Amino acid sequence: MTKNHTMLSALLVPMVTIIPLSAVLFDVEFDYNLRMVLLGASILGLVTGVLGSFAVLRRQSLLGDTLSHAALPGVVIAFMLMGRELGWLLIGAGIAGWLGTVLMNMIIRTTRIKQDAALGIVLAVFFGTGMALLSYSQGHEDASRAGLDKFIFGQAAAIVERDVLMVSGVAIVVLLIIGLFWKEFKLLTFDSEFASTNGFPVWFLDLFLSTLIVVSIVLGLQLAGVILMVGMLIAPGVAARQWTNNLSSMVILSGLFGAAAGASGAVFSAAAEGLPTGPLIIVAASLIVIVSLLFAPERGLIWRWWNQRQDQQQFLSESLLADIYRLAEKHGSTTYLVPHGMLTHLHGRAARKVLRELAAHRLLEKQATGWRLTAQGVIQAEKVERNRQLWKLYRLYRDEFEAPPVVENFQQDIREVLPREVVTRLERLLA
Amino acid sequence: MERLLIDLLLNFMSAEQLYDALDDPRMVAILIGAMVAVSGALLGTFLLLRHMALTSDAISHTVLLGIVVAFIVMVYGLDQEADISSPWLIVGAALSGVLTVYLTELIFRSGLVKEDAALGLAFPLLFAIAIILISRYADDIHLDEDTVMVGEIGVAWANANEHCFANCEEVVITPDHPKAETGRQCINCKPSGPYSPRDPEAIFKEICSNCGTYPASIAYTRGYIDTSPQIVLWPRAITTMGVITLVNALFVLLLYKELKLATFDAGLAAALGFRPGLLHYALMALVSVTAVGAFDAVGAVLVVAFFIVPAATAYLLTDRLWRMLVLSSFIGALAAYTGYDLARGDFLGIYNLDKLLVFLDKHVLDLGGNTTWNVHIASAMVMMTGFFFLLAWVVSPRYGLVSNTIRRMVQRRRFREQLLLMHIHNHENTENANRELALDTLHMHLNWSENHLKRMVARLRSRNLVRVQNNLVIMTDRGERLLQKIMQERISA
Repeated sequence: MTKNHTMLSALLVPMVTIIPLSAVLFDVEFDYNLRMVLLGASILGLVTGVLGSFAVLRRQSLLGDTLSHAALPGVVIAFMLMGRELGWLLIGAGIAGWLGTVLMNMIIRTTRIKQDAALGIVLAVFFGTGMALLSYSQGHEDASRAGLDKFIFGQAAAIVERDVLMVSGVAIVVLLIIGLFWKEFKLLTFDSEFASTNGFPVWFLDLFLSTLIVVSIVLGLQLAGVILMVGMLIAPGVAARQWTNNLSSMVILSGLFGAAAGASGAVFSAAAEGLPTGPLIIVAASLIVIVSLLFAPERGLIWRWWNQRQDQQQFLSESLLADIYRLAEKHGSTTYLVPHGMLTHLHGRAARKVLRELAAHRLLEKQATGWRLTAQGVIQAEKVERNRQLWKLYRLYRDEFEAPPVVENFQQDIREVLPREVVTRLERLLA
Repeated sequence: MERLLIDLLLNFMSAEQLYDALDDPRMVAILIGAMVAVSGALLGTFLLLRHMALTSDAISHTVLLGIVVAFIVMVYGLDQEADISSPWLIVGAALSGVLTVYLTELIFRSGLVKEDAALGLAFPLLFAIAIILISRYADDIHLDEDTVMVGEIGVAWANANEHCFANCEEVVITPDHPKAETGRQCINCKPSGPYSPRDPEAIFKEICSNCGTYPASIAYTRGYIDTSPQIVLWPRAITTMGVITLVNALFVLLLYKELKLATFDAGLAAALGFRPGLLHYALMALVSVTAVGAFDAVGAVLVVAFFIVPAATAYLLTDRLWRMLVLSSFIGALAAYTGYDLARGDFLGIYNLDKLLVFLDKHVLDLGGNTTWNVHIASAMVMMTGFFFLLAWVVSPRYGLVSNTIRRMVQRRRFREQLLLMHIHNHENTENANRELALDTLHMHLNWSENHLKRMVARLRSRNLVRVQNNLVIMTDRGERLLQKIMQERISA
């Protein structure tokens, strides 16, 4: 756990210092506009990160994609009725996204269509309807392109102070709600059947959580746009999942990752003239994911690869010791010289390196034609051999001794995993 | 190839008829829409059955990356003009589609990320890279995100290749040609020279303002020749989509058996040596190519509808794979046909949306007098696919809401009848019979309402399964026989 935290803080330091760092490194000027974009992007990243971790855990990652597309007709209708007022656009999008969720759940419940297709149907049909309405609202069909790019691709540069205030307000409300319903959401995420048998209104909670996701998506639309919203929702959650097995730390971490991605996207877009903010946020979030997948302790790919390598090495060295010991025993002398070719033939070329390592630990001695156990090696080999025998006996007599079920692992000292009385009984059997 | 096809068509109709047909935006839009729908439905059926419907969404977005990279290669690598109908685009699209799927599987196979999240990580990243590339090289590659995301099927007819069949000779206008417009021009007059045309030093030259070589069509419109050339303007999108539809249809027809096996039992397919993985990537490449061929017409987001929605509709109507393929293609094409009219306000010839708009404008909201429903055509086609899905969802004979509800009601009633018969059978001729089977207390034993019991007894009596004797409900022989039969069926089941 402590290692975990050190690595994490090593990752978080550049994230937190990205703002002061960027001022020095990229010569970014923090004018009013950039400050607004930065604030908006970070707060949004925070909210989507927090909500996204629930979506990731509930295997509803692509719900975000569907909902962000399904919001279009709501946005257009709200725009036609109320004009370009962010609050109303939010409400319209919320209603449309919410309707989409309900419809999707109905399709899954009443037909044999699975979730992926139901998501696709709602996404496509709602978006098509939205596009039709948009082209209607703009009088003639070609004009449909005029306003659409802002919706599909977002336009972070247009964020003003009022938007930031609005985003912050909604963010506070969303975070408060999550705090209040923490227990319920946790239960829903990990065991919704248990929740339903205990009388929690699961469908309502489900819808409630989806509604929150809709709200965060709608907030994010003007920043990242329809298509990239799904990345903003998922990436921080996936990254955070690699570092911890605890929901609360995952949610907090995911929020931090989201905020860091938002901030760095904003900063880099200011540093490199003409690059859009939304896609840069996604690239930043994806980089965080890649780093997490590779380096996260215990789960990370590099970590796992290293562990596997260590295991293989240990297995090989124990097998070599045991083989030499057994051969020596058969020949009646513990100092029997085992020919070199025999060992490499049995264990492959990898054995050479391990043999040299064993010699370095003074367990083996190299002679001109082969290898021989040292006194220390004999003791070690006996220990290994004895451990193996005990494990084999455990496999045979597990039920008879009513021993606790443990994972068989010859490389582990059996005394570490089994209770002492079971080990003594096994040892007595061996004797 | 276009030429060949046109020659074939000319066997059935005259060049003028063909010209008129292809000059009709409605005709061309419906034809292209139907081809998009059919090619989408053929592949979409397999995507749906493999639970990969959303992969088509991901691919249709990442195709943008393939297009951008193809454009950059064309402009910087091959020094060509970037052209939206170049074959490089197809290559780029197919590669980007395969890359999306490969990347998703790579992330998924790490074992650290669930499958849905893996897809959700891969395609936004590729899409984001595409947009960054576009904004970086925008000045050179003339590619706008909007053109890719939102197509315009209504103008497809205008983007055409010219094919000429008769009177096609080029017209060469020389100064002696009767139609030549000749005149004299002073070459050393003001403003370039010092003289005015009246000065004797002015030098004149014979010039011809319209000399040159003209293709027959232009020569005819300018009146240089009297006989009109026989021209067919062949929209390019028809060729592109036609080829894609043909390739998809061939893919499905030739590999039908393999696809079927790989879809329903990938393990068996692998064991029999069919390489389901290869087939999988071929399918994904075709999805990408279809998406890129269609984005011109319907846009990257809406093409997803043609992949998923008709296939899902057909899925609610049939259990047979080949029927599903035919049905989904048909429904898609029908949606394209009716969708064009819906874009002009005509809903299946039943209702005109303009009336609704007039009503809304008058009584409900202020639409600013904009009461003509004239919208983006591809969107209207998608709306029709949604409508057909809704229709199938409600009234499908096998899986529709209505038939499901009816089936459930029938089952419930039959179960209750059997329950009542069973109860009578169990207590008949026992000492408790007077208590258990009395007409006015029986409902309590079954936990039914009194009215419900009365209705059930009346129904059973009318079918001569029970009778009422001394205020007791008693089974008839017929009822006894029926119950025996039911119990035997239960046992054998």
